[in-house]
Amino acid sequence: MDNTFFAEYAWLVPLFPFIAFAVLTAMGKGLKKTGAWIGTIASFLSLVLSLCIAGERLSGNAPDYGNQMDWITIGKLKLVAGFEVTNLSTLMLVVVTLVAFLVNLYSQGYMKKDERISTFFAYVALFTSSMLGLVLSDNLLTFYIFWELVGVCSFLLVGFWYQKPEAKAAAKKAFIVTRIGDLGLLIGLLLLFWYMPGHALDFTTLHNVYDTQSGAISTGITTLIALLIFVGAVGKSGQFPLHVWLPDAMEGPTPISALIHAATMVAAGVFLVVRTFDIFEASQVAMNTVAIVGAFTAIFAATIGLAQNDIKRILAYSTVSQLGYMMLALGVGSVTGAMFHLFTHAFFKALLFLGAGSVIHSVHTQDIREMGGLGRKMKITAWTFGLGSLALSGIPPFSGFWSKDAILTAALDKQPILFVVAVIAAFFTALYMARLFFLVFAGKPREGQHAKESSSVMTIPLIVLAVLATVSGFVETPFNGWLGHWLFPEGAEHDASGLVMVVSAAVGLLGLYIGWLTFVKGTIRRNAISDRAPGLVTLVARKYYIDELYHVLFVRPLQGLGKVLDLFDDYVIDGVVRLTGHGASALGRLNSRLQGGQVQTYALTALISIVILVVAIAGRRFW
Amino acid sequence: MSMLSSYLTLAAVLFCIGLYGVLTKRNAIIVLLSIELMLNAVNLNLIAFSKYGVQPSLAGQIFSLFTISVAAAEAAVGIAVLIVLYRGRASVNVDEFDELRG
Amino acid sequence: MLNFNIDFTGEFVAFFLLSVCAIVGAVLAINFTKVVHTALSIALTFVALAGLYIVLEAEFIAFVQVLLYVGAITILMIFGIMMTKHDGEGTEPARPLLETLAAIGCLCLFGILFYAIRNANFPAQHAPFTDDNTREIGKLLFTQYAIPFELVSVLLTVAFIGSIALAKREVNTP
Repeated sequence: MDNTFFAEYAWLVPLFPFIAFAVLTAMGKGLKKTGAWIGTIASFLSLVLSLCIAGERLSGNAPDYGNQMDWITIGKLKLVAGFEVTNLSTLMLVVVTLVAFLVNLYSQGYMKKDERISTFFAYVALFTSSMLGLVLSDNLLTFYIFWELVGVCSFLLVGFWYQKPEAKAAAKKAFIVTRIGDLGLLIGLLLLFWYMPGHALDFTTLHNVYDTQSGAISTGITTLIALLIFVGAVGKSGQFPLHVWLPDAMEGPTPISALIHAATMVAAGVFLVVRTFDIFEASQVAMNTVAIVGAFTAIFAATIGLAQNDIKRILAYSTVSQLGYMMLALGVGSVTGAMFHLFTHAFFKALLFLGAGSVIHSVHTQDIREMGGLGRKMKITAWTFGLGSLALSGIPPFSGFWSKDAILTAALDKQPILFVVAVIAAFFTALYMARLFFLVFAGKPREGQHAKESSSVMTIPLIVLAVLATVSGFVETPFNGWLGHWLFPEGAEHDASGLVMVVSAAVGLLGLYIGWLTFVKGTIRRNAISDRAPGLVTLVARKYYIDELYHVLFVRPLQGLGKVLDLFDDYVIDGVVRLTGHGASALGRLNSRLQGGQVQTYALTALISIVILVVAIAGRRFW
Repeated sequence: MSMLSSYLTLAAVLFCIGLYGVLTKRNAIIVLLSIELMLNAVNLNLIAFSKYGVQPSLAGQIFSLFTISVAAAEAAVGIAVLIVLYRGRASVNVDEFDELRG
Repeated sequence: MLNFNIDFTGEFVAFFLLSVCAIVGAVLAINFTKVVHTALSIALTFVALAGLYIVLEAEFIAFVQVLLYVGAITILMIFGIMMTKHDGEGTEPARPLLETLAAIGCLCLFGILFYAIRNANFPAQHAPFTDDNTREIGKLLFTQYAIPFELVSVLLTVAFIGSIALAKREVNTP
């Protein structure tokens, strides 16, 4: 069989959800349950096709398949659009379609009672379609278009319950904050477009330019472009200092948090850096920036996660922290590590979010202090959530251990200080996961709680994801670097480091143990730290006052500026507009008097016009 | 001043009087009559040219015959339209027929 | 520029008298307020024009003029006047703007025409008309102008049938 048989049809993968979106939008709100099935079936078709492509590529050394067409031609300038199927995009295809399908399935249960369920599924389908388009893009231009599209979908879905003012504010915040990053990305792309030989923006040319003709673009410009692209990635992937939108985005429905804000869209930033990694590699400054921002975000978000009480917010900060790990991996040059962590993280974080959703669905609160003892009532949720927590905490042999290990090894190799930071962050990760898990599932049930296990459409995705979270780590272990070879055949070897494995497993276990001591046994008093250093706890609980700082630094001055501009708009711009409008309508009234329906007036006008015309033509000979 | 110029001037005078009538008269019948006057001015031109033109010939007279026929047809149709309008409006004033008002 | 070196020939005298009649008829037609008066005075113009046609050696046209215009069209108009009411005539509000502008426009048009006529150079030639113009016209109509002639007859038929169809009172209209 032809090795690119399925790859040639890869464009169908984003098309299925898009058709679902079009159908759902066209049919309107009356569909309810049917609409949910349309979305689910479309994502299932995409999943099947993605698995076919993956099977094809796994079976042998299938060549990369790309297909391009001329999109816009302006003079000599030609913009092409196309898709390409590589091992990298195949991996992303599988991850996105799998999580999307499971989330679709899960949402059937979670959103069952919502009035606008078909709208919800339409948005999810549009998001899935855009995300798959982003993954398949073979050039930065279409990549950017899909990048913006997923941003729009994120906005729509975060603000899905727009009746809640918090959701509205969160949607706006998510959109505006990522927009800052997108602006950086846009400027970076324009610069790249300007400096690239032949104004090409496709990844293949990009790779060739930096691989073979080094020096085509000067180092300074390269650094600038790399940093600007990184700004885009920072915005999308919730890295410090643009991380503020991601925890707020948890106002959206929980399946959305799992799909967009844990598994796929936020990983798009990491994916962007991976795709343009040639640019980053050419600039040491950019690499260091990526590594430092990543490591700082990892520990920064992990500490905030310790002091939160909202189950979804803890997970959100955990996501920020894990994305920081991925950035750190990229910064120390381990693309494989980043992609590997992205891969495993997609599964266990989606699992955790869906598990959290199951809990919220059951007890109708998000505050972990009001939960407890749910383990006995929600066995499946508790078990799968536990597996996800172990994977996230980096306990062997779960997937998170292997991917975190890959990153830590690379970090130790390049930047030992960042390695230490990452290890501390791993400790905090284990600690806050232990706190979360024990507070929710262990201990005594609260008064008046009627928790019960969720329906099977919600638990089946949990089980599937739990299995994946457990075993997906084995595709790349220190003893078997299969994933790295598959993704980047010419990439660096993954060297095993016993020290790293021991250390990372140890801090993970230590974190869990301390958590267990604190929140189950009570050996360590819960308020041991808050009694001694209340300021520190408040500082962390208030997320280091970043939001407040931004409010004072940016929001207030911008609001003031907005007010001034509003006045300007009201009186100057609108004045001009009104003047134009009134002028036009006055002219219109004047002219409509000519159209009075009076035949004689028309004839008179014709006569006078003829006289003027004749005089003008005949009179020319006199001057 | 040759005779031709005199005839042409007379025709121009009649034409302009007719035109004034068309433009200012309210009564549709007077408007129609004014149009006939204008057509007659044209006929006078044709016949004058038929006698005094650069190439005098009977063609001018034959043309004026055709013009008269067309004028007769126009007058007949015009009166018919007027009567129909009058039935609907009970008026023959041109300025009341303003369905084309913009 | 205006050089009125006019030969007082018989033709000129006839032209002068008839043109005075025509212009007087036309002006009166415009100035009368009663429609019947207008129709009658315009008939005067038509008759004067018929006389001018005779002066211009177009006897057949003059005959047709009297027959059609004076006889047919004017009568048709009078029938039209009789079939419609003219109670409010003469009492309409004046439209000074329209009238002034129309007068100015007409005067300008006349000025242009007069200027053109005065500046045109017509070689003085005389038609080699025979005494029997009518016979010549008849020959031409049935030889050289046969097709236009037939077309005009078709046009007239269509027009008259059309006007009958229009003016006929329809059965179902009140």
